[in-house]
Amino acid sequence: MNHLDDDAELYALGLTEPDRGPEIEAHLAGCEPCRARVAAAEEAAASLAATLPPVPDAPARRAWWPGLAAAAAVVFAAGAAFEANAARAATGRLVATDTALLAIAGSHFGHTTLVSDRGVTAKALYARDGSWMYVIARGAPPGTHVTLLRPHEVRDAGAIAGDAPASLFVRDPGRVIEVDLVGGGRVLARGKPAF
Amino acid sequence: MALEGPAFELAYRAHAGRLRAVAYDVLRDRLAAEDAVHAALVRVWSAGAYHPERGALLPFLIACVRREALGALRGTARRTARERRASAGRPSSADDIAALDPIEARRVRHALDALPGAQRDVILRAYYGHRTLAEIATETNVPLGTVKSRLAAALRRLHSALSEGSP
Repeated sequence: MNHLDDDAELYALGLTEPDRGPEIEAHLAGCEPCRARVAAAEEAAASLAATLPPVPDAPARRAWWPGLAAAAAVVFAAGAAFEANAARAATGRLVATDTALLAIAGSHFGHTTLVSDRGVTAKALYARDGSWMYVIARGAPPGTHVTLLRPHEVRDAGAIAGDAPASLFVRDPGRVIEVDLVGGGRVLARGKPAF
Repeated sequence: MALEGPAFELAYRAHAGRLRAVAYDVLRDRLAAEDAVHAALVRVWSAGAYHPERGALLPFLIACVRREALGALRGTARRTARERRASAGRPSSADDIAALDPIEARRVRHALDALPGAQRDVILRAYYGHRTLAEIATETNVPLGTVKSRLAAALRRLHSALSEGSP
């Protein structure tokens, strides 16, 4: 493939044909000049994005998975810290906390929905190398624990905390066979990651 | 690489807020915007498709989310409803206050104002008006090839202007 030329900027704006994405990314992987050009264009596009208003407050929450994206609403209440993050990030300089995000972005991760017949909605995000797992749950009673089944052991990873949604970050869970949410001596929800 | 739970949550939520705003700007539908953000992140992260040498992470993710949102927009009938609300206007100083990042918004507005008229116009139509290249060509009676090169040049110029202004 030839160099991207003006398509570098058009790609950063989302204006190239959708099915050209994989071809363009493949070219970028091997072409430093085009990579730099696209990265610069994406920085300019990110600056344009900084002028957009936040998403207006939701009248009602969707029953489930907003844990990830809609938890963002919480961030606007986080005020100063968020503003500082946003201002620095907008110029393309990554904030200190991005170290964590980079680790995630650079690793392969999967996600699985936990099945429940007790009104609990939950999801687990996990690194495919077993280095971390993030469990998000809605509708689980306070004190609900996350239990991880591994080949020769059962590990209590601790209680989920917070609400709407509650969550628990688990370091080094290993290659888990099954994730259970346990409360009142019962399994409330259960899911099987695929490594 | 160290991975602190609280840091993960903070970073994730901070970025998710901005990414969601990018998708919402295009789709004008909260749930569709969430879906677009999820789809983009899962696409990127499950494939391990990001490496630091690709460029800064947040601009990369913003571009991914906008592509995902535009794809969703163009693939659905949502467009008609959305078009009634989409504005091709430029951000005003009043909008700066309400922006995700008021300080950056003011810099961007000044940089846009300093662009040649034709370049500014094509950026406003493409970015804030969510027009396709073909729509811009029709609206402005300018050949498609010219629209492409003008928009690309405008974004490059905007980038240099904003880089010069950086401390």
